[in-house]
Parts: sequence; structure tokens; C-alpha cells
Amino acid sequence: MKKILQLTLGIITSVGGFLEIGSVTTAAQAGASFGYQLLWAILLGTICLIFLIEMSGRLSAVSKHTIVDAMRERFGFPFFFFVLIGIVIVAFLVLVAELGGIGFALQILTGVGFPIWALPVSLIVWLMMWKGTFSLIENGASLLGLITISFAIAAWKLNPDWSQVGSGMLPSMPGSDKAKYGFLAVSILGASISPYLMYFYSSGAIEDEWDRSYIGMNRIISTFGMTFGGFLSMAVLIVCALAFRPAGVQVDTFPQAALMMTTIFPKWGFYLFAFSMLFACFGAALEISLAIAYFFAQGFGWNWSEDLEPSKDARFAFVYTIIILIAAIPLILRVDPIKVTMLSMALTSATLPLAIGPFLFLMNDPIYLGKYRNGWISNSVVAIVIIISFVLSIISIPLQIVGG
Amino acid sequence: MEANIELLLGAKVYDANGEKVGRIEEFRADEDGDACRIEAYLIGASALVERLSAWTLIRPIKRALKTRHIYSVFEVPWQDMDLSDPKRPRLRVARKDLQRAR
Amino acid sequence: MDLIRDVLDKKLVDREDCAMGRASGLVIQFGENTQPHITHILIGGPSLWARIHPALGNLSTKLSQLWGPKKKEHTRIPWSRVETIGKEIKLDIEAKESGAIDWEIWIARHIIERLPGGGSEEEE
Repeated sequence: MKKILQLTLGIITSVGGFLEIGSVTTAAQAGASFGYQLLWAILLGTICLIFLIEMSGRLSAVSKHTIVDAMRERFGFPFFFFVLIGIVIVAFLVLVAELGGIGFALQILTGVGFPIWALPVSLIVWLMMWKGTFSLIENGASLLGLITISFAIAAWKLNPDWSQVGSGMLPSMPGSDKAKYGFLAVSILGASISPYLMYFYSSGAIEDEWDRSYIGMNRIISTFGMTFGGFLSMAVLIVCALAFRPAGVQVDTFPQAALMMTTIFPKWGFYLFAFSMLFACFGAALEISLAIAYFFAQGFGWNWSEDLEPSKDARFAFVYTIIILIAAIPLILRVDPIKVTMLSMALTSATLPLAIGPFLFLMNDPIYLGKYRNGWISNSVVAIVIIISFVLSIISIPLQIVGG
Repeated sequence: MEANIELLLGAKVYDANGEKVGRIEEFRADEDGDACRIEAYLIGASALVERLSAWTLIRPIKRALKTRHIYSVFEVPWQDMDLSDPKRPRLRVARKDLQRAR
Repeated sequence: MDLIRDVLDKKLVDREDCAMGRASGLVIQFGENTQPHITHILIGGPSLWARIHPALGNLSTKLSQLWGPKKKEHTRIPWSRVETIGKEIKLDIEAKESGAIDWEIWIARHIIERLPGGGSEEEE
């Protein structure tokens, strides 16, 4: 029974990957601009994540080490530090975007501008981490995130042509605006295959005290969790394809995206969208803050656990306190969270090889994994993800400039 | 004399004739009670593979390429290494006299 | 035992399994005809940053004397204190006495405990 409840770890991880502000805005833009043609990008991201997340959990359950522990021990401090810089800069930008997403949702609900909300929102996120335990964050954020199921209900009620939806699962080139299409494809993949998800999940497995008996359950959790998130992200795309594309409406701002649910739920759609984004971005902000703090603490060998009182893991608590505080500053200065989101997604794609490359070695290490190391299927998937990540890293920034 | 092994890691090693041998990638040690003594130094790119425990990845590639040697690693006994200048470690023997580790 | 793979960068724990950081360096002593042997494990600080560049090691030394616990020396643990080497390195020492967690204690007392709900690092 206890193992089944661990599904919440999968759900909160996928919220951070598929239902945060970056994924929702790119899925919305993709649906509004290209109909179902970019569903394949979400499908590809989902499949890649299922494998990567499963491997992250397996490494932790078997070796009792997180990915960051293993990376520091195998590759040494200079390499670890290089990865730390890249991953933390990108994760920090995503955190700014998520806090902005919460601010935007509150702006929609209250009419008060998001810069005013920046500090209170940061304080609430910080307070949750300061006083909360890992299971409170894991279960609470997952439960609140379930409101995003409203996207799936909206997509179903809009009665799409399912054969066309099916066609969208295979890559195809658009008639026009190829640069924008390419940019959105890269952004969807960058928004979903985010390294911080792996670090969070791997750390969560240690927080939840997984051992080898969780290997089977880990497969179920990673598959269910990532499929849940990917499925809802596809629902957002379908809803926008049906709500905006026929009228030629482009989704360029967050308030525009808020209208996606009003076609099918005229009275409640606005609020459903706002609350969905509020809770999803809140869960994502918690996940990213924890992922950054975990990265520092595990890499440097400090005490860490969300279940400890802050004074017992002082440096860990100090890191998340500082980053949440600093993340509020750009929002107070009225930096547009959507612009930060777009930049963070391009940079995530550009830095993916840093995270995925070492992973291939770690998942084949007999000392950490013994007989549970990767077989040829998992290795092939990691190799394909590495190739995809190198391609993304080369094209993401030029596409951001041309098509973004 | 004292030295830090993490700063010796990756140092280029030359043999007694000034010929380049490779870089120090690993230190083989033996525990003897309270002491830990260095028995040998592993030099060469493949020692890095050993350190990363990456043979499970490299062996299939080696088999596919049907090569006996795509790498080299030398195991240098401690007596054959001169660390009097830790920034420029030198061997006391010639490269041709070194034993391959694998 | 391979020192880089099995010892360097490994997590260190004390008698009570309290985290002490990671082995950032190993000091060896040697002579013309003396077999090199490890004398100390180094933890954190300058020994860590010098692995990226010596200038960073020097900067770390200078900064550590300006604020925080203001340590004058690196944390060095005698090799004789090593009990077991496995997934972690267990040391026959108390973390607080070793100096390895001076920064943790300093941040706890000067920053974390001053915030409401921060707790106390001295409580059992």
C-alpha cells in the first residue's frame, strides 16, 4: 500500500516537467499556430522522460546514492562544478518563470499585477520548504496539481477529430513558418526533458527511503507519472488547437492563454485555468528549489533532507532560502516571466548534454548498480536522448533568435 | 616530501629518456593496518575508463571494432616513479620497459 | 584499492554517521626510497577549489579568513582515523571536533537560527 502511494512522487515530478508555465505556454502556442502537428514532440518528450526518470529512481533505490552523489564521485569535482554552473543557472531561470507563473495566475484572479505578488509568492514557497516535510510537499503539490485534469476534460468535451490527433503523433513539416515550428518543437522538448526532474526524482527516492524492493514500483511510478503529465500537456495543445486556431488567434501572452478553457467552460474556464496554473507552477517552484538545493548539498557532501529541521541541514536550507529570495528580484523589477521561460527552455536544450552524458556512464556502473545496470534497450534510449540533446543544444539558440 | 594526489591526477608523465608516456589517471594502494601505501600508478587513457567503471560500455565497442588494443594503460610500480618535482613526475625507467596493466 | 575511484570525492561520515563533507584531497608523504603513503584526508575549502585552478584555491584561502568561521587551516583528517571504506568513508572521529562542519555550524548559528522556525543545531 505504501508503495502505491509513492505514485505522488511521479505525479509531482511530471507536474514540474509538463504542466509548468513553460510547457503550458509552448503547448498553447503550438496548438494555436500548428494545430495537432506538434503532438509528436510532447510524445517524444514523454517517452524519453519515462526512461530517464525510471533510471534515476533505479540508481537511487539500488545504490542509495543520488545522481549528483554518483556524478561527483565518478567524475570528480572539476567536472561536477562545471555541470553545477550550467544546471543551476538554467534551473534558476525556470524558478523565476514559475514564480512568475504563480504571480500571473494571481493577477488573473485578482487584477493585481504580478510584480506585486512576487515577494508574497516567494515567501509562501519558502515557508512551505522551511516548515514542510518532503511527503507534505510531495503529496500536497500532487493533490493540488490534480486540478489540471480539467485540461483533459476540456479536450474531451471539445470533441476533436481523433484520427487527426493520431496523425499529429507523427512528425510532419508545416506548410509555412518552419522556423517557428522548429523553435516550438525544440522548446517543447526543452521544457519537458529538464535535468532538474531527474535530480529531484532521484533525491525523492532517497527521501522516501526506497530500496531494491521498489524497482518494480519505480517502473510503474515513472511510467504513470510521466504519462499523466504528457497526456495533460497534449490536452492543452488540443484545447488550444480547437479554441484558437480556427479563429487565427495567436497565443503570445499569458492572459491570452487563460482564454483557452472559456470556449468549453464559459462560466468557469477562466478560473479553472488560473487555479490550474497556480497549483502547477507552485508545485514546479517547490520542485526546482529543492532540486537546486539538493544539487549543492549532495555535490558538496552536506547534510540534506526536507524532513530535517533547517538548523540540522543549515547549508541546504541556506541555499534554497537564498535562491528563492533572489528569484523574486527579476519579477519585482517587472521582467516578463514568459520571456524568461522562453530563454530558459532554449538554455535547457543547450545544456542537456551536460546532464545526460554522464548519466550513460553511471547507469552502466557495476559498483553502483550491480545486476541492475542498464540493458541494451535502456542504453539505446539514453544514446538516442544524448544525440537529440546534442542536436537541440546546437539549434536551440539560433532557432530562438529566428523563430522565437 | 609531501604532495596532494588530487593535484597529481592528470599530470603528464615522461620516461627516463624524456619520452611522453601518458597522464596519471589512478593510484593503486594497499591498506596495511593504519597505513595506506601506494603500490602503483596507472598511466594512460584507459586508466580513465577503469576509474569511471566504464568497461561495460567500452568492451562492446571494442568487440564491435574487433580490436585487441584500442587503448593503453601502464601500471608503474612506486619505485619507478620520481615525484621529487610533483608538477613534473618522471619515470626512472624507459617507456619500453613498462608493463601494460591490461 | 584505487584511490581516485574509491576514496577521492567520497562522502565522509563520523562515528555517529553525521555527514562531514567529501574527501576533496589526499596528502601523501614520500622520500627518495620511501614508499609513498597517505597521511591525511583533506576536506573542502582551498583543497577543493585548487583542483579547478590554483588561483581559486588561493582565493578560497583568503575569503575563508575574512568571514564565516575564519579558519586558518584546511581541515585535515589523519588517515589513521579511517575505519571503513565502502559507499562512504567512515571515520573514527566526531564531526564537530574535526573542524569539517565549522561552516555548517556557523551558518546554522548566524543565519538559520535567527529566522523563525529555524530550530537549533545543538538540540538532540
